[in-house]
Amino acid sequence: MNEQRRQILQMLAEGKITADEAERLIDALEREQPESPPGAVPRPKPRPKYLRVVVNSEDDFGGDGPSRVNIRVPLQLLRAGVRLTSLIPPQALTQVNAELNKSGIPIDLTQLKPQHIEELIEQLDELTVDVDQPDTKVQVFCE
Amino acid sequence: MIPQLVTYRQRRRDGRWLRLYVPVVPVVLLLSPLLLVAVLVGLVACLVFRVSLVGALRGTGQLLCALPGTRFEIEDGRTAVLVSVR
Repeated sequence: MNEQRRQILQMLAEGKITADEAERLIDALEREQPESPPGAVPRPKPRPKYLRVVVNSEDDFGGDGPSRVNIRVPLQLLRAGVRLTSLIPPQALTQVNAELNKSGIPIDLTQLKPQHIEELIEQLDELTVDVDQPDTKVQVFCE
Repeated sequence: MIPQLVTYRQRRRDGRWLRLYVPVVPVVLLLSPLLLVAVLVGLVACLVFRVSLVGALRGTGQLLCALPGTRFEIEDGRTAVLVSVR
């Protein structure tokens, strides 16, 4: 029994509220916090394994008909790729930084630590991008 | 688990399909002399650029093991390409 339900029953026992009022309060409480069935263990949400990119376009650019792209990349592959980037030698990163600066992108890649990128990949689980146009649909999601 | 089978399918403009099923392990065994040379070149490159040998080998291994399940399917009109790693 949770604390709020206990307080409602306490008020009922003390005569501060009527049985009808207590019932209404408990109903309202249940609506706010739907309880799982007794004995049920809350199951953790299954972790997505793949990053999917789906593009459906009805545009007839080449005159051949509609275009379709369906890409499925394991998230594990992204993680492995990210771990490989940590092997890039510092002098190469310095050169890349200089070139990025020249191009007007002042990003310091030496400050980008592997654990930051790992966190970024972890958060991809929740990623969903939907772009809908009359003749094109783009979806990026994890499954 | 390293990839077992790579499937490549291509639909040509005339509508015919080109299908290639590449069993990875036999092909790797067949190309093992070349792969050995490539690994040696990679190791020398790691030493020259002061990259951790163990890290590079582990990273490459993880990358290979993560490949199964990858699928690329691109279709544009009558032309289509599918690459699938299992």
